Amino acid sequence: MKAIQLRIGERVLGNGLCALAVQNPGVETMAAGISLRLSQVDETASEVGLAHLVGNCLDEGSKKRDDLAMAKATEALGAGFDGHSNGGSIHGPAGHAAKILALLREFVMAPAFPAGNLKRVKSEVLSAILEENDDARSVARRRFYAEIYGDHPLARPQFGSAEAVASHGPAKLRRFHQRWYRPAHGYLVMVGPDPVKKSLDLLEKRFASIKKSGQDRVSHADPALPAKRREVHIQMKREQVHVFLGHLGVRRDHPDFYALLVMDHILGTGPGFTSRISKRLRDDEGLCYAVNAEIAGSAGVHPGTFCAYIGTSPEHRKKAIAGFLEEMRRMQDSLPSAQELADVQEYLTGSFVLHLERNLSLANYAISTKRFGLGFDYLLRYSDIIRSVTRQDVQRVAQSHLYPGRVLVVSAGPAGKPGAR
Amino acid sequence: MKLPKVEVVELKNGFRAFLLERHNLPIVATVLWYQVGARDELSGETGLSHFLEHMMFKGSSRYAKGEIDLLTSKMGGSNNAFTDCDATAYYFTLAADRWETALEIEADRMQGCLLDAEEFAAEKQVVLEELAMGADDPWRRLFEAIETLSYQVHPYHHPVIGWKQDLERLSVAGMRSYYERCYGPNRAFLVAAGDFDRKAASKRIKDLFGALQPVEERSPVLAEPETRDERRLLLKDPGSLTRICMACRTCKMGERDDFVLDLISTLLGSGRSSRLHDRLVTRENLASSVTVWNEVRFDPGLFWVAAELVGDAEAQQVEEIIREELLGLVRRGPSAAELRRARMQILANYLHESETVLDSALRIARFEGLAQGGHKLLRKAIGIYEGVSASEIKAVAKRFFAEGSWNIVWSIPEESVKQGRA
Repeated sequence: MKAIQLRIGERVLGNGLCALAVQNPGVETMAAGISLRLSQVDETASEVGLAHLVGNCLDEGSKKRDDLAMAKATEALGAGFDGHSNGGSIHGPAGHAAKILALLREFVMAPAFPAGNLKRVKSEVLSAILEENDDARSVARRRFYAEIYGDHPLARPQFGSAEAVASHGPAKLRRFHQRWYRPAHGYLVMVGPDPVKKSLDLLEKRFASIKKSGQDRVSHADPALPAKRREVHIQMKREQVHVFLGHLGVRRDHPDFYALLVMDHILGTGPGFTSRISKRLRDDEGLCYAVNAEIAGSAGVHPGTFCAYIGTSPEHRKKAIAGFLEEMRRMQDSLPSAQELADVQEYLTGSFVLHLERNLSLANYAISTKRFGLGFDYLLRYSDIIRSVTRQDVQRVAQSHLYPGRVLVVSAGPAGKPGAR
Repeated sequence: MKLPKVEVVELKNGFRAFLLERHNLPIVATVLWYQVGARDELSGETGLSHFLEHMMFKGSSRYAKGEIDLLTSKMGGSNNAFTDCDATAYYFTLAADRWETALEIEADRMQGCLLDAEEFAAEKQVVLEELAMGADDPWRRLFEAIETLSYQVHPYHHPVIGWKQDLERLSVAGMRSYYERCYGPNRAFLVAAGDFDRKAASKRIKDLFGALQPVEERSPVLAEPETRDERRLLLKDPGSLTRICMACRTCKMGERDDFVLDLISTLLGSGRSSRLHDRLVTRENLASSVTVWNEVRFDPGLFWVAAELVGDAEAQQVEEIIREELLGLVRRGPSAAELRRARMQILANYLHESETVLDSALRIARFEGLAQGGHKLLRKAIGIYEGVSASEIKAVAKRFFAEGSWNIVWSIPEESVKQGRA
């Protein structure tokens, strides 16, 4: 396949904000965003759910105009804004790029957090919490993370609890915003058809005046692995039972990351039903519609998890768990075949380009290269990195990072008795 | 915005291909669209189209079970498929130097699917699990209930995944007969978009698909009779949230009303300033979300409104407000600024859909599959939206949103039904 030369660049603004730009030739749209290194890990005990709430309130009106006026201004350009726990992103027709960037700044950097709007958003968040409580898959997932992370802030649900959300007022949101929405904490990115320099100029013009100051981060000790296997079942009256099985994983900067990525695709993730677990549990045994297992996908600034998931009928629960554990052990006990390794390497190296079509994907790529210190030439080096992984590497990382004897199994749904449905 | 021209290749056996060259990145997307969906199933065989879609990955003349996925993966590509009430579509995204493999796979499995009995039995379990997964999804149950109410005679009455009792009874012989009856070059077309040479692609398509044998043309189905009776249903949900879904029958894809209804759905439900969002979510704080969409089909489709209520909001009040805003559009058409915003949002959606070759190919396929001369219509679409006036919007809303046009399903927490609060 032809090599892809990505046009990408950066400029550190006077206030320390790192601006990134990528040219996506041929499209008529643009996307931009501010991505902060901010998550529930940065919340104190009295701030649980605040990062998410602040992100959700960014489009509730600014210091200059109310929410409806901002919505009308955005929609009139054909643009759309989304607030996240770690900033916000905007997209729209490239012809309006300058106006859309001005809106991004107003949304993300000048929110007013009006009390009336906050009350409404809180009721929406409470609805989202109730929706999660009703959904067996979400219930199992939430409990899985709570058990894996223990006292670490990642154990908390991203939305926070109903009680915590109810306790947050406008002043608290303003303080939190003032503390974290600062240049030192994140990246500014823009992707569109314009040349990189032009985009960087636009970003600088619009964002150079943001104030510098910010907050120091609190560090947290990593959670420990449990000593032995443990199971939790949450009874819910549903058709399917949802099973999460796994343990603590690794950080993105772990030297074994790429070997684990390859292992994942042999073991439990990837396209179609090519991995061992999806081939066995879905394609051969017909136990489920949805199944997967991986460790690299959740690796980030903080340690992720090894997590295997299946949604299945209650009578298949035990068989599915046994299947997960057997496949984990097989990964540790024997080398993958040369063909398995070659197939996965072909997929990972060949499919990379498919993720470079959308503006938002390119924006995420640019941010990842900075956040994880990968360098802008990562695209060119990626193929060699993946191809350097050997069969021995895959077995070694399976032995070092998979713990079938110490997994946590959380399930939610009907009990696993035959005919329970 | 000007959509690029699509080249059409037509074969003697009825097969057609629509080719859109685009050279931004060295990738190509293909969509093989069959005019075969839940609409084509007979009573007692519901779910066959969707189940057959699964079986198309389980072995064909040249490709063993799992080989299509493996081959796609080894080539660094992606593939998938979907089935809806009108169509089944199979799609690939591959690097430009190997994209023709997708053509080889599609030509082979169009009439060479093995439908092995053992694989059929195993995959039936997967489909039954998919059905169970859907049964736990409150929105899916709500949408299926609306379709069942909205179509009493037309096959759109049946869920695409099928009724459980039908699925359990389906046999491999029945599926083979359906496959041989429906899968052929005259009931399918291909869309390719991306970095290829049109002449070479056209030749390869003729070589691969030219010898395939045509099958029966699509049969007409019973038209849904007009009705002025509102139908209502109450679903009991094991969860704790109340949801409403309303739908009225509308028009076919590609008719002028279809474009007007797109604008109406945008005015009512797209973006925070839209009328229903502003009223129900922002101002009255009765719903956490409201969604409005115009779903056109091969035969007359549905216009949908769905909302999820917050905490203690009164169901009746929400329904009344939705009705007020629907009728409000008839009485008080859109202002010039509202109409400009709606048009701009639709245009922006078209631009965003053009970011990827797969979305571009799927859009052409959707237009061509559901409307006569759809690929030509697609080029005119933006102009049509520009030409729709406020008075036309009022007239179309008046025609479709009349009293008695709506079917309504409420999904209420089981607990509140027990307590008599429904």
